[in-house]
Amino acid sequence: MGGCFSDMKGAKQAVGGALPQTAPNNNDAVDFFYTAQGFQPLFTQVELSLSACNLLDLDITSKSDPMVVMYAKKGDGKLEELGRTEVVMNSLNPEWIEKISIAFHFEMVQPLVYAIPDLYFIFRVYDIDTAYHGDPKSLKLNDQEFLGEASCTLSEIVTKPSRSLTLKLQNKRGNSGQRNQGAITIHAEETVAARSAAEIIFRCSHLDNKDNFSKSDPFLRISRIVESGGSVPICKTEVIDNNLNPKWKPVCLNFQQFGSKENPLVIECFDFNSSGNHVLIGKLQKSVADLEKLYHERAGANFVMPSTHHGQQKVLKGQLFVDQYCEKEQFSFIDYISSGFELNFMVAVDFTASNGSPQQPDSLHYIDACGRLNSYQKAIMEVGEVIQFYDSDKQFPAWGFGGKIPGGTVSHCFNLNGSPTSSEVEGVGGIMDAYASAVRNVNLSGPTLFGPVINTAAKMAAESLASYNSTKYFVLLIITDGVVTDLQETINALVKASDLPLSILIVGVGSADFTSMEVLDADNGRRLESSTGRIATRDIVQFVPMREVQSGQISVVQALLEELPNQFLTFMRSRDIKPLTSRFPNAPSIQ
Amino acid sequence: MSRTIEITILSAEDLQENKKAIKGNTFVTVQCDGSSDELSSTKIDSEGGSYPKWNEKLVIDVPSHARFITIEVKYKIRGSSSSIGMARIPVSDFIGGYVHENQLQFLSYRLWDNRVRRNGVINISTKVKFSQQNSCCNSISSTANGVPVTGIPVAGNGSTSVVTGIPAVWLNYQRNI
Repeated sequence: MGGCFSDMKGAKQAVGGALPQTAPNNNDAVDFFYTAQGFQPLFTQVELSLSACNLLDLDITSKSDPMVVMYAKKGDGKLEELGRTEVVMNSLNPEWIEKISIAFHFEMVQPLVYAIPDLYFIFRVYDIDTAYHGDPKSLKLNDQEFLGEASCTLSEIVTKPSRSLTLKLQNKRGNSGQRNQGAITIHAEETVAARSAAEIIFRCSHLDNKDNFSKSDPFLRISRIVESGGSVPICKTEVIDNNLNPKWKPVCLNFQQFGSKENPLVIECFDFNSSGNHVLIGKLQKSVADLEKLYHERAGANFVMPSTHHGQQKVLKGQLFVDQYCEKEQFSFIDYISSGFELNFMVAVDFTASNGSPQQPDSLHYIDACGRLNSYQKAIMEVGEVIQFYDSDKQFPAWGFGGKIPGGTVSHCFNLNGSPTSSEVEGVGGIMDAYASAVRNVNLSGPTLFGPVINTAAKMAAESLASYNSTKYFVLLIITDGVVTDLQETINALVKASDLPLSILIVGVGSADFTSMEVLDADNGRRLESSTGRIATRDIVQFVPMREVQSGQISVVQALLEELPNQFLTFMRSRDIKPLTSRFPNAPSIQ
Repeated sequence: MSRTIEITILSAEDLQENKKAIKGNTFVTVQCDGSSDELSSTKIDSEGGSYPKWNEKLVIDVPSHARFITIEVKYKIRGSSSSIGMARIPVSDFIGGYVHENQLQFLSYRLWDNRVRRNGVINISTKVKFSQQNSCCNSISSTANGVPVTGIPVAGNGSTSVVTGIPAVWLNYQRNI
């Protein structure tokens, strides 16, 4: 390919960007995409270490033989066992060696889709029959003595500076009773693999030319082989124009993307075509360990091409080299949170007339006397119940916009609690109460303007950033039913805020056309640009229409919050802000 | 009265000349309107092509009445220099408003060529240095519906009014100042 199609450049950017032959391996779209991704998987693996003290002594001739079983409670009330420890013989203060490994999803209070707010993980301690011999997994728990249980969320553990939480053991009725049943300590630690990444620079030589009038425009795609035999792409390079001996920009593979250095990866080299039908130049299968070996041996690996004959492959002249390979650990989201960084939740609610009169059942602000939540309340609850765990004081600023406050004019940023001086309310419950009160007292008006509330939130973030050793990152939730009226002013405000410790979540409720709102969400890689030509430093906006979420199996919180750790990390890394040193005394060794 | 600004010219993205990627030898000049200082300039990046990196700190004085800082990306060819693109940055973007003066800011701006066509992005960081001669900076922000709006002055007659957007003939306007 070579200049035959007018949309060539744009199409290449969609794949991975175009790069002239003489230019270094840089690319706007890919650079921005990976910067925004922050090299962070959507979950992180956490190991739980368990210990207990002052357990009940139920044995007559010796001490108890305790074991812990960990459960997650589903929405239907059923318990799902997540893991068991070994049995520690003859001890009332056991320290279990076996660790229980779970996936930490930031956007969930627990790693299951269905959650009950008041119960998350349950840890049950049993005294195992002294006649037991064998695998703890085969034990019938009904035959054992129950010593006590405790429950908590994973977020409650990881937000502790020590990443440890000690809980009193209770009986199954949920109280401590008369006897001291002891306590259990849960310590969470992110696995090393979860924080490790391999940075690799690939180079090729003597690639087959797939273009008729110019040289190929190659890019690499790296995929993980799955159990079913297929492959899942985990990484791709940018496109290099007109070059049969390309050298790409470094790619970064998180260990969680491929599981183990020994697991095979498929590396395919394609010739870019603007039609989207990219032509395979060659492929090969290597593990990360193999790639590391290629680097140290300065050797190349030949590409192969699947043959039309079953099971046969043609070895090509083209070769893949590894010019750079290095492994590094990165500060993770949990590192920051457990060292004292906080997420500060803020809410802005749309009080424009298009919502309909709150007294009418079809109004988006209708508050059902039976307690059924409207869309606004659902969004507040779902997001707030996750984020509140990451805020120590739980004082949340809450605003409304587009409404006429009693005795006043239309306000595009008023305190939801009705106070003239302070916007903060206490906890998610405080937000809900303030919202209900505002629905009764505020007259719906208009138009729909986001700029004022964004600027107000940004001002708070800027004040925080200016303070010494600030550990706050702000999350503004905007809930709206309509298309924003001040789109350009909103973009201007977002661009200005993009260099601040702030993320903005926008939930669209009702049935309006939110197409223009998706302009604000930079998931397509197109950076927002202000009217003065300033370009957003990073993507800070996530937009989700409530109706799409409600029709699926995921919640608002999942759709909105799963990108938040990446946005947080992008900001921290761009400013070289590290977790507090008291938690990481050897912090310089981690990049 | 003026204040001193540290501007670090970090990098640029997707620079072109006649729809072809720039091959190299690029540098950046910085000038503040209303200042009699000579142009500040970076060293030449000879290897970065259309994605150059300078990471060079320039220190400039910004008079209190200044409204813009102009950043221009140029390239050397056959002993002379030619403009690739220009960004005209309102001083209010990094002084005034809700951003604190001594706060390090990372900013990116669209570059416009001589024909007022988009031509890549310039990435910079800024930091205002404290000075005993510092005084309150006259922000050129105005407001719409109570919201600060940054933009470009209507005319060079000392007016503090601004328009949003970029006038199509603003390059010629600047040259005629």
